[in-house]
Amino acid sequence: MNVYLRELRAYRRSTIIWAASLSGLVVVFMSLYPAFTNDLAAVKKVFDQFPQVLLTALNLSSTAFFTVNGFYGYLLTFAGLAAAIQAMNIGTGIISKEVSGKTADFLLSKPTTRSRVITAKLAAALTSIVISDVVFWAVSYAAALLVSKDPFDAATFFLMSLTLLLVQLMFVALGALFAVSLPKIKSVISVSLPTVFTFYIIGMIGDVLDNDSLRYISPFKFYNTTYIITNVRLDGTFLLIEAAFLAVAIAASYVIYVKKDVRASV
Amino acid sequence: MNIYWRELKAHRWGVLFWSLGMVALVGAGMAKYGAYAAAGTSVTDMFAQVPKAVMVVFGLGGFDLTKASGFYGVLFLYIAVMAAIHASLLGSNLISKEERDRTSEFLYAKPISRARVLTPKLLAGLTMVLIFNLATSLSSIYFVAYFGKGESFNAEIWLLMAGLLFVQLIFFAIGALVASIVHKPKAAPSIATSVMFLTFLVYYVVNFDSSLEFLRWFSPFKYFDAVALLANGQLDLAYVALSVVIIVLCIFGTYRFYSARDLAV
Repeated sequence: MNVYLRELRAYRRSTIIWAASLSGLVVVFMSLYPAFTNDLAAVKKVFDQFPQVLLTALNLSSTAFFTVNGFYGYLLTFAGLAAAIQAMNIGTGIISKEVSGKTADFLLSKPTTRSRVITAKLAAALTSIVISDVVFWAVSYAAALLVSKDPFDAATFFLMSLTLLLVQLMFVALGALFAVSLPKIKSVISVSLPTVFTFYIIGMIGDVLDNDSLRYISPFKFYNTTYIITNVRLDGTFLLIEAAFLAVAIAASYVIYVKKDVRASV
Repeated sequence: MNIYWRELKAHRWGVLFWSLGMVALVGAGMAKYGAYAAAGTSVTDMFAQVPKAVMVVFGLGGFDLTKASGFYGVLFLYIAVMAAIHASLLGSNLISKEERDRTSEFLYAKPISRARVLTPKLLAGLTMVLIFNLATSLSSIYFVAYFGKGESFNAEIWLLMAGLLFVQLIFFAIGALVASIVHKPKAAPSIATSVMFLTFLVYYVVNFDSSLEFLRWFSPFKYFDAVALLANGQLDLAYVALSVVIIVLCIFGTYRFYSARDLAV
């Protein structure tokens, strides 16, 4: 419990900053919505003539795009990228900082097991992410209510919002796995930024080549917002894959961390 | 000279992976054009009817998307963002890593001045920025020729790459300055990349709403906007001058603050 509270306090500032910047992003985007839908009928007509390939290339595949939900879904592809960076940062940092900050021997010589340490740390990471997500959801919902002239489906809205957290969970787990397996992480952000962007670009390539197998590699492509808008549920196959990945990555992190030769500070 | 080689060696994998990443990004992006051109009809006519606001949201404002050059212009924005991330991280890490890894006592106990430590570090950074730029340029020329179906615009690519180099140098210099000012060496890369993302957001907002045009001075992405570069066929001298001023001021500031810095030990 001490470790958990200690980490929450250590990440308090970072959580606030991330919640504020994610909310800022959604506010800026949502304020563009009225201009975007000014002459809706004309735009819709033009889009109906577009070839399918072009629509795929632009990452939008239905006329639902022009509703608030559709617009929000598009915005989530950017917000998801930022949120993934936050998740990977905290997942990697919360574990690797003991070694890079030379506090590992202090912490690990305490009368507690390593698995209890990592449990507390992962719980703190999860809490920090959930807090910033809840703020993000609330701000998004308020912004959507403000800009939308027509009523929209709240269930769809929150399901889409939930994908943000689902993507983040995978990056926390991946970050934790990186932190326990890489020999020494000096700078967290230099590890997390390239990793997150690599997955983002893999997802992009999958879109281009229309290659469904690449969809299974990039967490960003697990939960298609168009699918959620039409079906009002998440894709079960990918929920299972995510659950499996989380189980394996977290179990591996525990196993490796418990046995790992942790470098003492000199 | 020792420090210069030491830094190059320390960052060799980083530069290699970043360069490979850029080759992949350019390749994937132009493959997208290949798929799109295959389906292409008179898309420009259709795009002409789409309101500006919609085009901007997709980052498509002002490009002739029937041509490979227009498509590359859209891709250029992503290339610039990646380059800016790399440069910000590089600039801030080079300066802050000694304190972060607690090797500053070792390094600064050597009989050389801080300025003489800083110069080879910045030169090593410059070398890696150039390697990154060269990898991006060469892969752009190759993939555009490969997917562009005979359309050649190497002159435009070199022009965009000159713009990219300025963007890189600006963010490299800002990264170095941030690292020389902030007290916590670990916070330097995060702050440098946050500044970068903020200027990117400014770029986005300025494109969207022309009443916020005055904000363009705050976003280096706007100085070397692919739309303007492709339309004018040359770099805007005012922006080049401004970039040089920013870079010089940041580097000057880095020397100034770093020499007076109370090193964390």
